Amino acid sequence: MNQRKVRKMSKLYRSREGQITAVDTKSQLATLGSESAPGPLLVPAGAKKLNAVIIAFATDQSVAADGSFFIRLEGPGLPGGPETLAFGSQGVAVATGGHGSRSAIRFPLDIPVTAANEILIFAENAGEDTGTETVGVTLEFLV
Amino acid sequence: MSQTITVEGDVNAVDTRTLLTGQGSVTAPSLVVPAGMTKIKQVILTAAADGLAAGEAVNFVRLGGNAVLGGEQVIVFGGEDSQTVQAGSDAAPSLGSLFILADADIDVRPSDTISIAGEYGGVDVGDMAFAVTLVYGK
Repeated sequence: MNQRKVRKMSKLYRSREGQITAVDTKSQLATLGSESAPGPLLVPAGAKKLNAVIIAFATDQSVAADGSFFIRLEGPGLPGGPETLAFGSQGVAVATGGHGSRSAIRFPLDIPVTAANEILIFAENAGEDTGTETVGVTLEFLV
Repeated sequence: MSQTITVEGDVNAVDTRTLLTGQGSVTAPSLVVPAGMTKIKQVILTAAADGLAAGEAVNFVRLGGNAVLGGEQVIVFGGEDSQTVQAGSDAAPSLGSLFILADADIDVRPSDTISIAGEYGGVDVGDMAFAVTLVYGK
């Protein structure tokens, strides 16, 4: 008989957030709101790949300037080496009041991972210094 | 076949895990995963800030409780920022962000209870209204 057991895939979501406070400065995202020290973000057991990354950000618009933002993914959990992803930009002519509201963006990927090893997440502001940004990143693992 | 549950609530402080347990006119909707449902197939997330404090923050949701088989799942879904407006000028509108995580594929155990918490990290931007819809499936 030609019987094959088909295992349904599922996904696991791991997140970190943190702040960028200076231009051209690699800033690690190592907190998670009420968890000030959530510890290393480890690739979950059984994870086959990094299936997507979800990124959200906000900026205090405190400087009349323009800049772009990207993340870096590094660490032993990524056997293929570091990865980078541009996720947004921001500019204002005056810094005298305003609101911003931005939906997260999901970036579909297909990046090999090594289970039980750490992935470090960094965010960075390039171009001009746009003030302070808070960046949140969710890693979507396929298991 | 799919089934949905929507919860909402106010998150009033930064870095504060806040359970979302209301549903507008329904004070306490059931958070039991419907019988026969084994996955969260989609997560629909929205939040808006009143901008009464100057700051910038990212929003995320925590899906946990006994029903979530892979442990707590944390998903970022938006960012809100605000400069307090100078006296005499009009505030810019704060439009809420909406994020749909299609094909979420989160394993759950039917007939067990899920907890849904909203939170924002960064710098306090005032009050935020969160709403979350889970679409269950098999």
